[in-house]
Amino acid sequence: MDTSSDAGSRSRIKLRELSDEELILEFQKNNTEDAFNILVQRYKNPLTNFVFRFLGDYEACADVVQETMIKVYRYKDAYNSVAKFSTWVYTIAGNLARTEYRRQRRRNIFSISDYGEDHSTYDLPDESSRPDVITDSGIKDEIIQKALGKVKETYREAVILRDIQGLSYEEISEILGVNEGTVKSRINRGRAQLQELLKGIYKE
Amino acid sequence: MKNDEKKYEDVIKALKGMQQVNAPTNFEADLQRRINQEKFSKKEKKIFWENIFLPSRLIPSLGLVAVAVVMFFVVDTNSEEMDNPFLIEPRVREDVFAVTDFEEVEKKQDELSKQKSLKKEEPAVEMKTNEGQLKSSEDKLVTGREKGEGVEILTDEKDVARDESFATDNFAIADSSVTNVAESPQPTVPAETSSGLVTGQSITKEELNFRQVQLSEKEQKVVNELKNQVQSVERVNKTQK
Repeated sequence: MDTSSDAGSRSRIKLRELSDEELILEFQKNNTEDAFNILVQRYKNPLTNFVFRFLGDYEACADVVQETMIKVYRYKDAYNSVAKFSTWVYTIAGNLARTEYRRQRRRNIFSISDYGEDHSTYDLPDESSRPDVITDSGIKDEIIQKALGKVKETYREAVILRDIQGLSYEEISEILGVNEGTVKSRINRGRAQLQELLKGIYKE
Repeated sequence: MKNDEKKYEDVIKALKGMQQVNAPTNFEADLQRRINQEKFSKKEKKIFWENIFLPSRLIPSLGLVAVAVVMFFVVDTNSEEMDNPFLIEPRVREDVFAVTDFEEVEKKQDELSKQKSLKKEEPAVEMKTNEGQLKSSEDKLVTGREKGEGVEILTDEKDVARDESFATDNFAIADSSVTNVAESPQPTVPAETSSGLVTGQSITKEELNFRQVQLSEKEQKVVNELKNQVQSVERVNKTQK
């Protein structure tokens, strides 16, 4: 018993040392579920952050990220070892987030009960946050998030990937499936729109 | 690019300063549960035929079939009452016209034509005796017409003979028809049309629509004299030419 558990923990440690691409290849070839679990641990928070900033809805965001991981699990053989795992997983998450965003928008258009209401309220997921922190940075975040929600869909995605997730232009161009020039112009336009929307914050 | 980043420095700072949003604490457990659910549902997947013949799926389809059968019989019993008016054959008015057999009709037509021809022969002979004295061009026309009638009668007789020969021997038909074609100076008329219904050859004097005036002897003499005078004038003119 002890020897087998030791061997398992040792192999897990070894797996943790592997890169994303090596882990997914391990999962592809040997169907090693631990490799998949490590990938989930690595990407669950960055993906949640990305999807939440894009959608502005935490519950929907959690569903989208879970769906992304299920797709990775189900279509592991579709991953091409030439590409980076991060770009592949962000592409899946981005596609699902876009689909969810459009569905939400349709629902809001056709919802009679929502007509004329201001959709400004949403819950931030940080449960451990202190009230005094929320008053300061939380409100600021809320305002920025609101402004992000008003930026055009294509520009918003590029801005989030660049300025919040900190990905390179090359990676973003791979994720969005457009060339780098387009990525840059999208980011700049998104930033310009945000600057216009966030004028009040800078004055304060 | 650096200029752009300077230009939007505040925005970039604000975005980078945003709180990191983390996944829920039970994220991995939920994910594992969903993956296992999918695995379980995959294993339980049945073959297509098994799915079709499930009792839960058979009951509604059987109900549908039963309804269809009932509907068919209901519609079928009403179908006698609700005949399509466009498919009903028109009634034959026997008081106006009733055709039982086309052969009978042909025979009747033949008989009628024979009767007509017999009737025509008699007045033609009478006409010849009455109008024998006339030497005018009108007479010539009448005699020409009679000749035509004679030909017609001959053709009719030949047709009758042909019919008889057809009854006796099938092979004789061809021979008789060939001889008829060879013998007759005018083109033969088929039996169906030779009954005097509509043919240019079978027009009789009676059928023509002109007025026949019978002259007295005195009037005829006057007419003849006038004709003679006209003829003499024409001869003189010819000789002068």
